[in-house]
Amino acid sequence: MSGSGRTFRALLRKDIVLELRSRELVPAMSAFVLATFVLFRFGLGGAHLAGGTRAAVGLFWVGMVFMATLGLMRTFAAERESRLWDGILSAPIDRAWVWAARTCATLAFLVVVQVAALPVFWLLFLQDGPSPSFWVLIAALVLADLGLAALGALVAGLASAVRAREVLLPVLYLPFSIPLVLVAVSLTVHTIPPQTSGFGVAQRLGFLALYDTLFGLLGWALFEYVLED
Amino acid sequence: MSRANGARIDRASAAAATAAALMTLALVLVVFYVPTDVGDGYRQRIFYFHVPIAITTYALFGWGALNAARFLWKGDPSLDLRSYVPMHLGTIFGTLTLITGSIWAHASWGTWWDWSSTELNTFLIIFLFYCAYFMLRFSVEPGEKRARYSAVYAILGVGLIPVSVLAVHLGQDIIHPIVFTRHGANMDNSMLFTFLVNLAAMLSLAYAMYEVEMRGKRLDERLAQIRRLAGGAA
Repeated sequence: MSGSGRTFRALLRKDIVLELRSRELVPAMSAFVLATFVLFRFGLGGAHLAGGTRAAVGLFWVGMVFMATLGLMRTFAAERESRLWDGILSAPIDRAWVWAARTCATLAFLVVVQVAALPVFWLLFLQDGPSPSFWVLIAALVLADLGLAALGALVAGLASAVRAREVLLPVLYLPFSIPLVLVAVSLTVHTIPPQTSGFGVAQRLGFLALYDTLFGLLGWALFEYVLED
Repeated sequence: MSRANGARIDRASAAAATAAALMTLALVLVVFYVPTDVGDGYRQRIFYFHVPIAITTYALFGWGALNAARFLWKGDPSLDLRSYVPMHLGTIFGTLTLITGSIWAHASWGTWWDWSSTELNTFLIIFLFYCAYFMLRFSVEPGEKRARYSAVYAILGVGLIPVSVLAVHLGQDIIHPIVFTRHGANMDNSMLFTFLVNLAAMLSLAYAMYEVEMRGKRLDERLAQIRRLAGGAA
């Protein structure tokens, strides 16, 4: 394995081990997403779902973005609080690998929470009505998670070193999630029967892939300027 | 030194005079010269303000992001100010775009906000981004770190512009009128002339504001330097 590969693996392992030891993020994100779904259910009318499953699918994506934001609030917290930055910054490594490892770790945390969240969402919102295409939803989730994680790692890096970081992170992050939610909602809602013809699922999945690529490249290129302290 | 300052003052004054002349000409053309649109009537004339303001906003954000990239590349602290000032002005012009777009939407479609309008919704997303830019900038102490963080976030914003346009197109059914197509402008010569004069007026107004604000910021910096020196001497 090359030096870069070893660096990436070590950093990713550090992020995963920190989470396994502290159990700070995944349980909090899971509890948050569960509470959000219940809140949305009552917000949509409780017994009778106002707006039907289409409204529920829209709220599902909003819940995913809020959950990712919550997870990102603690990103780089251990590095800051335990002075891990000193070690990382003094190591002769490309800073972009720190971003890449954090992106992959965040992606892993999002996927773990969503594996538990999807059945709960089905139970609360979809069991009595038409559902979106399962495979389209999964593909959209994977692509959206990648974009949220790639951008989130960079923005969390920026927010981690400023005043009022917990308040600032959502303010910095949410404008970027709007295009993602807009396309993900239109993509998944259109797969709920009755479907409209001539709708480009591939086009919209392509947009999500483009979003990942663009912010992935920007994250890779810009992260060294975030850590230059 | 004094000659350089004099040249800068002249440039700002010249830009302000040009902007005033072009704005007056643009107003005269919009009110008295341009023919009334057959479909939308007199109210369509807001187009001559709304679209040039929107284009000026994009130009300011682009200029700000370009200087942000140059700051990261060269590390010249003056480029931070040349990035911040266009961002600040872009937010003012962006607000004007939202207001004029909202008035146009009400005149054309009977609603103050249309969620299927590409222009309005794209600007709304970008406007939220630039509000966040200022939140980030003023959460960091003045200095190299603030300049660096602002530059990184400004460059991210340039990525957000095409992504937002594309997302609004893909996510909704569009009803916004398409004036500029691949085959050219969908308007007659007098309308195109009026539009171009308005665009020149808005761009020159933005440039004049840029020069004036840069002068003010440089004076602020010099004053702060003098205070620091005076404090040190005391």
